[in-house]
Order: sequence, then C-alpha cells, then structure tokens
Amino acid sequence: MDFKSVVFYLFSAVLVFASLRVITARNPVRAVLYLVLAFVSGGGIWMLLEAEFLAITLVLVYVGAVMVLFLFVVMLLDINLDRLREGFWSYLPLGATVGALMALEMGVVIGGSYFDLFENRVPALVTDSNVKEIGRLIYTDYVYPFEVASVILLVGIVAAIALTGRQRRQTKAMDPAQQVLVKASDRVRLVSMPSEKLEDSVPQAGE
Amino acid sequence: MLENYFPVLIFILVGAVVGALPLILGWVVSPSRPDSEKLSPYECGFEAFEDARMKFDVRYYLIAILFILFDLEIAFLFPWATIFKEIVSTDTIKWFGFAEMMVFIAILVVGFVYAWVKGALDWE
Amino acid sequence: MAALHEFLTSLFGAATPTIWIVLQIVAIVLPLMAVVAYLTYAERKIIGFMQVRIGPDRVGYWGLLQPIADALKLLVKEIIIPTGADKALFLLAPILSIVPALAAWAVIPFSDTLILADVNAGLLYAMAVSSLGVYGIILAGWASNSKYAFLGSMRSAAQLISYEVAMGMALITVLMVSNSLNLADIVRAQGEGIFASHGVSFFSWNWLPLLPMFVVYLVSGVAETNRAPFDMAEGESEIVAGFHVEYSGMAFAIFFLAEYANMILVSALTATLFLGGWLSPVSFLPDGLFWLLAKISALLFFFLWIRATFPRYRYDQVMRLGWKVFIPLCLVWIVVVGCWMMSPWNIWK
Repeated sequence: MDFKSVVFYLFSAVLVFASLRVITARNPVRAVLYLVLAFVSGGGIWMLLEAEFLAITLVLVYVGAVMVLFLFVVMLLDINLDRLREGFWSYLPLGATVGALMALEMGVVIGGSYFDLFENRVPALVTDSNVKEIGRLIYTDYVYPFEVASVILLVGIVAAIALTGRQRRQTKAMDPAQQVLVKASDRVRLVSMPSEKLEDSVPQAGE
Repeated sequence: MLENYFPVLIFILVGAVVGALPLILGWVVSPSRPDSEKLSPYECGFEAFEDARMKFDVRYYLIAILFILFDLEIAFLFPWATIFKEIVSTDTIKWFGFAEMMVFIAILVVGFVYAWVKGALDWE
Repeated sequence: MAALHEFLTSLFGAATPTIWIVLQIVAIVLPLMAVVAYLTYAERKIIGFMQVRIGPDRVGYWGLLQPIADALKLLVKEIIIPTGADKALFLLAPILSIVPALAAWAVIPFSDTLILADVNAGLLYAMAVSSLGVYGIILAGWASNSKYAFLGSMRSAAQLISYEVAMGMALITVLMVSNSLNLADIVRAQGEGIFASHGVSFFSWNWLPLLPMFVVYLVSGVAETNRAPFDMAEGESEIVAGFHVEYSGMAFAIFFLAEYANMILVSALTATLFLGGWLSPVSFLPDGLFWLLAKISALLFFFLWIRATFPRYRYDQVMRLGWKVFIPLCLVWIVVVGCWMMSPWNIWK
C-alpha cells in the first residue's frame, strides 16, 4: 500500500468516525465540531483527488463560514436535546426509509462508475493550475449556471434578511445629532390662560 | 501536485504539537491547588447567578448568513480573477469574459443594496 | 546542506524527506516563536517611548530578558479550569487558535527559491486556513461558561467574519493583476512594470496601483487580529479581557502566542501581496530574504504605532466600517481595476 492510500484510509476513517459522532454526540456544540472535522477530512480526500481548488474552497466556505453559522445557531437556539430525542422511535421508520433510499441511490451512482457502466468519465484536467482550469470552464461553457448561481445567492440574501427582519428597534440608543437639533418650541408649548378658581373640585373627606 | 501539499500536512501536525506541548508542559510544571472560589467563573465579584450560555441577539446570526453568502461570491470571483489576464489578452472572449462578471457583480450589488436599505448592516 | 542531507539519509533512511520537511518547519517555527517573544518586548518598549516612558528595563540589560521572564512566569502559573466549563473544549480552544496562525506559514515565499510548500493555490490556502482561527475564539468563549468570555467571543467572531469578506475582496484585485494564486508568482509579477524597468520596482509593487485595496487589507488585517483600535473583543474597560478571561498560565500564553503569530502572518501576507515580498525596492540592491524581513518589521511597527495612537472604536463603528465602507469600496475597486485592464492604458500586460 503506497503512502497515498494510507492517507486516504486515514482521512476516510476520521471522516466516518466524525460523521457518526455528529449524530450521536449528546452536546450539540460538539456535534457541530465533529461536523467541522468531517468537512476537513472530506477536504483532505478531495485534495487526494488533486482537486485543490474544490478542497480548499470546501474548507474556506463550509468550515470557515457555514459551520460558524451552525455554531451561532446552536448557541442561539439553546437546543434541549432531551426534548429532541422524545419522538425518536416514532420517526424511525420514516427516517430509515429515507436513509435506505439515499444509500441505494449513492450505491447506484458510485457502483455504476466503479463497474464502468457510465461512459462520461471525468478527464484529468490538472495541467498547470486547477483554479485556472475551473475558471476557463465556468466562464465559457458554464456561464448560464454561473449567472444563475449569482441569482440564487441574491435570493439567499433577500431571504435571510426577510426571515430575520426586525420591525422595531431593539435598542434605546439615542442619536446625538438629532438630539441637538431639537428646538424648545418642538417640545414645550407655553399657553397663556386666565387663572381659575378652585371650586368644589376637591372632594370633602367623609362624603 | 500532491507532493507540494505534503509539507502543508506536516506543518498542520507540527502546529498542533506546538499548541499542545506548552499546555502539557504547563500542566506538569505548574501547581494545581483548586478551590471553589478560584474555580468560579469571573463575574466582577458577584456569584454567577445564571447559565452564561445565554441566547444572544439575532443580529449575529444575520451577520453570519450574510458572511456565508459573500464568502461564496468571493469563491466564485477567485477563478475569474485568476484568469482575468488571459481573458483580457484573448480578443475573442475579452468583452464576454468581462461582461459576465460585471453582470455577476451587479446582481451581487443588488443584494448588497437591499441589505443596506433594509438596515441589515446597521448595528445601532 | 548536501552533507547534512547525506547524514540524515544515513540516519533515517527512507523517512529522510519527511524528516527534512520537519526540520524546515522547525526552522520556520522556532524563529517565529522568538520573534513573537521579542515582539511583545518591542511593543512595550516602543509604546513606552511613544508615551514618554521607558518601558521594561529591569530584567537583563535594557530589559532584554523580559519576554523570557514572562514565559517562565506563565509556565509555572496554575492552569485554572472553571467550574461548569467544558473541559475538553476548554483545552482544545487554544490549540485551535494557534494551529491556523502557524499552518498558513507553509506557503509564504521567503525568497525566490526559499519556500516550503510551493502550491498552486497558495493564496487560497492562506485565506482558508486563517478563516479557521475563529473557532478557537468561539470555543474559548463557549467552553469557559463565563458571561464575559461568551460576550467577548461573540463580538470577536462577528468582527472576524465581517472583515474576512473585505479581505477576500481586496485579494480579488491582487489576483486580477497577478494571474496566479501562487504567492511566489504574485511577488514575481510585482517585479515587472514600467517603473521596474526604470530601476525603481518600488513603484511597480501592488500597493501603488491598488492603493485603496492595500489600505483595506491592512486595516482589515488589524481588525482580523483583534488589535487596537479594533480590540473591543477584549475591551478591558467593558468586558475585562474578552474570550480568554478564564484562561491562565500556559493556556493563556498560547492565545497570546496565536495573536502575535497572527499579527506577524498578516504582516508577511501584506508584504508579499502588496509590498513586493523579497524584491528589492531599487534595482542596484540585490533581492533577498532581508527585504521581506524588513517589510514585515515595518508593518509590525505600524501595528504597534496605531495601537499607541488611536482610541478604541465602538462596536457599531467597527461593523459599519467593515460592511458599509470597506465592502462597497472593494466592489467599486474590482470594477475599476477590471475596466482599467480592459482599457488601452492597461499596465499589467
């Protein structure tokens, strides 16, 4: 077994272990951290496939950004795991069916290419730089998917803002610039009126 | 290509060792005389009165989502920027390659302006 | 060199290349640690002089042994793990913050030939690795189970990710004019141009044509490393020390190490991307490692200088600067550089 295989099996073992711990860890923060580990090992495996741009982007985007959001959310929501576990057995049949289907589909795809059932093998395109090769493809052949991706990102921005939209101001911070602009006449109105006599307005004790 | 990344792998391992070694050394050398006051979380002299892992403002969450989206845009910009010189020097795709990224950036700017107008970037 | 290599081969046999790499890494990390130690000394001395004080002068001649005394003191201090803390994560956090600060050094080119990992996607790698530094901070705050630590880590994390966007966009313009993600190629590209052909490559470096991006990158670098004036994550007067308030002894020392190592890393990256790396500013002086070190030192002095000069920003001002000033500026400059390169006045041919 050459060194590359050793590294591959090492990364794969870590990946499988980390993925298992993601769904078994009791503490949600730890589960997210195991997911981080899983992504990093996944990145390592992609690197072994000589897909350096994808491998590093996986780490940059998923580990550096998406998982930070996950950590924030897990901390924000203060998830109570015991309550989450309540319906485990009633959801098990549905979950197992979905899982089995996914495993089957993946088996067809991976097994298919393993037994050479498909013909569209990806050609090795690592000549000088992976990134440049991807650039040449994205910005020539795949330009419409690329522009669609940007629209999807736009939808993401709008949706995120709409979902977290706050109508009212949550802080009572003052704006000093506006405060000094206030004129006395805006706030206090002096009214001149004749003085009045107090008649019967004060109730007598005992009535 | 892979052999270029081998030193990186080793470097990460060495980095972990550099991080862990002082910790272990400190653990061995330093005294350990804990008492309940010493171990209580710092709270300006008060007793800690509730769990510190409180819920925090939704703004942090929004910033994190916006960060992901902009990070993705940057990930798309990277390959383009890397080959931009080639695009410029190739007459056939010169304007096409330039225009498509301008469209991409324009769509990004629409999202950015929307976030700005909606006050998502304000931190009061 | 060859003799050493031969000696190693006789000693380790097939494992020699690995040992050789480890030795090279040690040759990077050890000086780095020494620089970190003496950066703390320089910081206290320089800020001392700027504030008309003397700074440390008791331990050793001119106080030169002060960093070593500090390290020894931290070594023998008890590592306190507060009650309610998540023990494993509490100890993992400092390691997670030092590893990215060190690992990014693998791709920094020290001179034309002196580079540990000459990878194609060097810049991308440096960016990805430094984006992982946020985990150490979030985990330190969460694992401590202390309100100040938690608040500090949240502020710090939001600040880091905000400025990462600006940094990434500033890098886009560098890539556009360099045509490569390889850091050594980026440096080499800066050695060409109209000014360089007249013997003053100083004006051909990226800092001049990309001046706004240079400023954005440098200021974002200060914010990324949580240095003054953007150090509200550890604003002493508000939240005592931020995310590492519960850390003591060596655990604290590692956070400290990571912060300063990050400072040096940002300086090295700025020097490489905008200030011509190992290139000499004028053609009659030879290129070499010396220039890179000089540029890093100048940038580090800048870090210390602004700490002595500027008052701390307010948190909302920090976020406004990142999102509402830097990001629009970067977007505009990407378009400007794009148009510039499309025009007949393109200087990057």
